[in-house]
Amino acid sequence: MMRVLVADDEAPARGKLQRWLSEQPDIEVVAEAEDGLRAAEAIERLKPEVVFLDIQMPGLSGLEVAAQLEQETAPLIVFVTAFDEHAIKAFELNAIDYLLKPYDKDRLLKTLSRIRGRPADGSARAAVATARAQTQSHDRLLVPVGETLQLIDSSTVEWLEASDNYVHVHTTSRSYLLRRTLQDLLEQLGDKQFARIHKSAAVNIAAVKAFTPLFKGDYEVQLRNGKMLRLSRRFKDQLFGRMGR
Amino acid sequence: MAAAQLDLAAAKQPERARLSRADRALYFMWGMFWVLMLAVGVQDYLRNGGKHLWQPILWETSSLAVATFWIVLQRRAGRRYASFIDRPLVWIGMHSKWLPLVLLTFVPVVFAIRHGVYALLGATYNHEPWAEVWIYESIKLMVFYGLWMGLIFAFDAFAETQEQRQRLLALQKSLAEAQLAHLKAQLRPHFFFNVLNTISALMHVDVPRADRLLSRLADLLRATLQWGDKELTSLREEMRMLELYAQIMQERFADRVTLKWNIDSSALGGAIPALLLQPLLENAFKHGVERSRDAVRIEVEARRDGERLHIAIRNSGSVLGPERQEGVGLRNCRERLSVLYGDAAQLQLTQLPDAVEASVTLPWQEHRA
Repeated sequence: MMRVLVADDEAPARGKLQRWLSEQPDIEVVAEAEDGLRAAEAIERLKPEVVFLDIQMPGLSGLEVAAQLEQETAPLIVFVTAFDEHAIKAFELNAIDYLLKPYDKDRLLKTLSRIRGRPADGSARAAVATARAQTQSHDRLLVPVGETLQLIDSSTVEWLEASDNYVHVHTTSRSYLLRRTLQDLLEQLGDKQFARIHKSAAVNIAAVKAFTPLFKGDYEVQLRNGKMLRLSRRFKDQLFGRMGR
Repeated sequence: MAAAQLDLAAAKQPERARLSRADRALYFMWGMFWVLMLAVGVQDYLRNGGKHLWQPILWETSSLAVATFWIVLQRRAGRRYASFIDRPLVWIGMHSKWLPLVLLTFVPVVFAIRHGVYALLGATYNHEPWAEVWIYESIKLMVFYGLWMGLIFAFDAFAETQEQRQRLLALQKSLAEAQLAHLKAQLRPHFFFNVLNTISALMHVDVPRADRLLSRLADLLRATLQWGDKELTSLREEMRMLELYAQIMQERFADRVTLKWNIDSSALGGAIPALLLQPLLENAFKHGVERSRDAVRIEVEARRDGERLHIAIRNSGSVLGPERQEGVGLRNCRERLSVLYGDAAQLQLTQLPDAVEASVTLPWQEHRA
């Protein structure tokens, strides 16, 4: 059984997709979402295997939702759009699944059969990467607050701390726990603002106050809020190079 | 030709641009005239055996100085007669009113200057008896007065024609732009494909509703294509177009938008630039409904207030950014209003406590089909 989420801000558009998908014996529509944030929450909570994401939605666009997903664990994404020249070009280029409104049943079935034949590897990854390239995904970060998700400005993040498959996101005011890898988070946030200092930690370069040399070429990083972190040899040269030291 | 490359900026300040150009040309000719008169005076003096070159220079200069005063006064104060430029006789009549005053004051002032300068230099100014001087100078003055009035009229009339041509071109240009922008807006792929998708979704569950939406879309398209070169329309017709658009959008976002129409029936016969309001309503949907998760309220209001027509479109669910950039639609509305009504019409965006308001105010004008 393929578990599917449908996200579109127009009720008739959701209805059409829901109806045709429900006719498929191997598909179960687990939820419908009427805007980007609810779509992201549903993905987080229900872990569908396939998401039909309308691009033009209030709050968070479909592309922005996809950009916030973890590449490794992201569901297969089918973007749905009326007209987005740039995005469509990028989809074509990266062999990302998409539907152009209005579409007929044959077109939807073609997409479904392609999804069924998808190996569970690179395609979800490519969709997330393409969505990140199409949006300003390094500026904003979607974090869980209780049962819901919330967007925060990534410049308020001071440092990131990995533990197992989770990342603690420490901001100036509080911390959030994300079920994502540090590697993937850093790929989304980009290396302009954030730098890895340790196998399991990264800092916002703007939040760094000072470096103090320790033994064996390791350093201690002091943040503006007073927090002390370890900078390992492995990441030292890369970081100093970028900070012009 | 300058008119061929005019832009809207030039059309917006026709008054200043026209006068300065005509002024410059006229003052140049006045200067040439001055040089000519001076040369003639000096030559005449030398041929009659004169020995003091300053004397003919003083005579000519004093006359020309006083005449210059009148010319400058005409350029400055003559603007009030500018509207009579297309009725030459009235224009000339208006200017001739001043001739007696000019004739009466010219000789006393000019000769006072001459006598004054002679006295300062310790000489005596001998001239013909006053009666003779008066008659001679008055005839000369009348000839030149007529000549220059003709010249000024020709300059101003030419400048006026130029300006009208520029105005017309600007009007045509902005109309063409509005038309293009509107066509693009109507055929705005997002809008169009989304409506088609809504229809395609509806026809599986509610055929009459799908059918209705399809004919609304056809009506809107037809009205757009029929728009043609009609610049003004009635408020009634304009509101009908707005309703068509609103009905389509309501089908798409039924659960997220409520519309309220508050149209004063006495305003319906007023003239308004065709399709002026559509971009404003589109913005209300685009910034309010399509970007907000909550239900949005849109209000359309129109009323006549004496000699003014007021229209306002308000939407909740959005705020005006501090550094917002005006889109093509809004810019185009502004340009059309400015070309058609000058300063007499306004388009304003205002942040109200719980809504954003776009308001248009026009001079009232009954629409004649």
